[in-house]
Amino acid sequence: MQLTRRGVLKGTGALAGIALASRAGLADARGLLTDPLLEEVIDRALGAAKKAGATYADIRIVRRRSEALFARDDHIANVSGDEGYGLGVRVIAGGAWGFSAASQVVPAAAERAAQLAVEIARANAPLLQRPVQLAPVKAAVDAWQTPLERNPFKIPLSEKSDLLLALTGALLKVPGIQHCFSWFQALGEWKLFASSDGSHIEQDLIRIRPGYRATAIDTASGEFASRDHDLSPAQAGWEYVARSTLLADAPRVGEEAVQKLKSPSVTPGKKHLILAPSNLWLTIHESVGHPTELDRALGYEANYAGTSFLTTDKLNKIQFAAPQLSFYADKTTPTGLATCGYDDDGVKTQKWDIIRNGRFVSYQTTREQAGWINESSSRGCSYAQDFRSFPFQRMPNVSLEPGPKDLGLKDLIAATDDGILIRGDGSYSIDHQRYNFQFGGQMFYEVKGGKVTRTLRDVAYQSSTPDFWRSCDLLGGAREWEMGGSFFDGKGEPTQVNAVSHGCPPARFAQINILNTNTGKGRG
Amino acid sequence: MKPDAPNLKGALDAALAAAKRLAPAGAALVRLESRRDANLRFARNEVTSSGDVDETTLSVEITLGQRHASSDTNQLDPASIEATVNRAIGMAQVAPEDPEVMPPLGPQHYLKAAPASDAPTAALDAATRAKMAREAMGLPSGEGLQMAGYLEHFSSRQLLGTSAGLRAEHQHTGANLSVTARTADGTGSGWAANVSHRIADVDPVKVGAVARDKALKSAKPTKLDPGRYTVVLEPAAVAELLSFMLFAMEAREADEGQSFFAKPGGGNKIGEQLFGPHVTISSPVGDPLLPLRPFDEDGLALSPTTWIDKGVVKALSYSRYWAKKQGKTPTGFPSSVLMAGGTATTEDLVKGVKKGVLITRFWYCQSVDPETLLTTGLTRDGVFLIEDGAVTRPVNNFRWNESPIQMLKNADALTRETYRVAGDFLPVRVPALRTNEFNLASISDAV
Repeated sequence: MQLTRRGVLKGTGALAGIALASRAGLADARGLLTDPLLEEVIDRALGAAKKAGATYADIRIVRRRSEALFARDDHIANVSGDEGYGLGVRVIAGGAWGFSAASQVVPAAAERAAQLAVEIARANAPLLQRPVQLAPVKAAVDAWQTPLERNPFKIPLSEKSDLLLALTGALLKVPGIQHCFSWFQALGEWKLFASSDGSHIEQDLIRIRPGYRATAIDTASGEFASRDHDLSPAQAGWEYVARSTLLADAPRVGEEAVQKLKSPSVTPGKKHLILAPSNLWLTIHESVGHPTELDRALGYEANYAGTSFLTTDKLNKIQFAAPQLSFYADKTTPTGLATCGYDDDGVKTQKWDIIRNGRFVSYQTTREQAGWINESSSRGCSYAQDFRSFPFQRMPNVSLEPGPKDLGLKDLIAATDDGILIRGDGSYSIDHQRYNFQFGGQMFYEVKGGKVTRTLRDVAYQSSTPDFWRSCDLLGGAREWEMGGSFFDGKGEPTQVNAVSHGCPPARFAQINILNTNTGKGRG
Repeated sequence: MKPDAPNLKGALDAALAAAKRLAPAGAALVRLESRRDANLRFARNEVTSSGDVDETTLSVEITLGQRHASSDTNQLDPASIEATVNRAIGMAQVAPEDPEVMPPLGPQHYLKAAPASDAPTAALDAATRAKMAREAMGLPSGEGLQMAGYLEHFSSRQLLGTSAGLRAEHQHTGANLSVTARTADGTGSGWAANVSHRIADVDPVKVGAVARDKALKSAKPTKLDPGRYTVVLEPAAVAELLSFMLFAMEAREADEGQSFFAKPGGGNKIGEQLFGPHVTISSPVGDPLLPLRPFDEDGLALSPTTWIDKGVVKALSYSRYWAKKQGKTPTGFPSSVLMAGGTATTEDLVKGVKKGVLITRFWYCQSVDPETLLTTGLTRDGVFLIEDGAVTRPVNNFRWNESPIQMLKNADALTRETYRVAGDFLPVRVPALRTNEFNLASISDAV
């Protein structure tokens, strides 16, 4: 949804898609930002950096707001409203990066941060093999805002707590459910970016995370099982919650937790595996999203998040997946958690192919990284979690295109003689080069003779990334394509979190290693 | 260059005074932390990014009868302090009643903490960080290896106060250096780290050298089949798997039946002998090697607690609410954990192995089954075959599926020395240990 300038003037406060001709025009559009002090803060930071000898500088002024409610069984256990505000100045001096931040958004603090950033850059410059070079970017003066109907921060607290208690109330009515949680979090990220390249970009993002969990307990045996609702977090307003089936689903979700507890343990072995989008999104995140990050591939994350098996010599060469599979990266899809107008380098966001017809065709990059693989422009993947964090390459939304046939989960089940169907995401783990992974889920079903025959428990699937994606033999169509996502993708040192979504249809994978995770030991 | 030190005491008093004025019938808990965090990252034998950040945060919790809410800010001017208090009050007024709410604590008596704040660590500058990074990378030679790493240090001052008269203060510093060395052919990788509250304890030359040595020794690994093996776990691996047990040691979850520590039929496992007599796990207060805050987030005084004594579960952690409900003493949330050492040296652990695997550290550990504490994860940065009491050759990495319970049940030797380990979990000191029947479930091709 693109809102117009007319919408702004009508008082909706919307900023989406407004191209502004000059900085002088910004004050009209912002609504939020009419404080001339901020112009001085920006000028003083960029001026001080230049004066100290920086060849490039940018400043981000960021306000983060969070509102969170958490219900435990029959009561609201936590209500919090938090806010953090500050500025971060990033410079290149002597060819090296320097960064400093301050929580006082005043001209003197901005100037001091710029000077300290240059001092740090100069101290580090002798330890460089080659100077940092940024791919060119067209200076932008623009604003962008999450398209939404009802700002969650303006919804009365009682409406949110009523919903959370209605959810736990409905779950606790299910025979066999002893305990449950429900939660809602809204995260607001307002930021103003300005750079020595002449960019001046204001963005206002709102993300929400609703959910709940039911737990069934067999006290006599000491066994228990939980089931989470599958609704994904999203970049959206309260309307996303209001239109969801969270409340209507509560009896079913509770009953599924009880059913899971009573289910037989899976027989391990190689089987066809059918994954609903509510499970497959996370597998895409770990095994397609992360290995196609260029900084990993080149060793820049070796000390923590790891490297990648998709090294640069494999670009345009390796058959990563079955030929019918294509994955794209994008930061433009509505409701996607990583969607925005511009990245934290001031690069306009875009959509591009990562895997085309099974072949690995491109990486995720920033302005600094584009030149590392002889590309002339950035893919726009720079992000810092808050004012005090250094921007670096973070994952865009990476999604699997739907197949050309109108196939749904029912069709995939009907085509399967002996398999397992998994809904919802569970335990997840993958090695530091993104080969060997093991994933669980929320609900597991035995599929025999084209039908779901019973529920199972203690299921995990384990595979190696290329083997897994090459084994995909049935791909669902657009009708059942859905996005899943997380607020909490961690990377870097110090660790920063990034919110990201992944869309996909249901899909089937042939002869995957199914594990039984019930060790028996320790139980009872 | 540095901004003026914020007036934390003034801000604490201002927030409590605002709470009293704006909600006279309410109760308040106020926390303040003023922190400097600075860091330097390096990779591919060069510096990549570096930063230096000062921030002061204020957190206000307001309780009005049984209603409560909290609000945080990093803006410390008088108007922002009042706005933050007001926001917490406003949210508390409309929050539903919480039958489990506990009033803020009154004055507490804290045990004397070991000195945790170190002036050179707090004052470290960009030039010193760059020098340490150069030493860690072993430049200019670097032995042809690709070095990556991270150096961070912080200084923190925390104040806590309540409307019931509690006042608490703690200052501490920290420094952490970790280094990964990779061979040019991509077949070998080694890792090492130092963590302490004193930068003087962080030895970049030694950390870099250990990582490089491991990388060279781990190059060109040979294949070892998955299976159950005797493994020697270095302290980083022990600490990471152990943390899954530590986080499960909450009395409430156990009493409610949703934890490994739940007892079939009801109740919890306090009093049960779970492990051999060599397993003792405690939270000391005032340990000079683990100098941490003597109070928890509510300001509750922490007492020395033994969680596992010679293999027997002696305590689980009780929140104030759950302790009151169950008629127990609240333990608060511990600020550190010490696993006692045994009698062996690291060499002894290897000597006793006919056929086994030496593991440097783990990666991407995740809970698989909270009922058994089954956890999965991978080995990383140095895995070696042990044959007839000696390390013989590097082998491939593995995915494992194992629980901390089995790790401790099957442990048969621990090093005398314990080591401070950095991580995302509680600060801990643990020994290296040897354990049997460890499930190395499948091969990982990652290096």
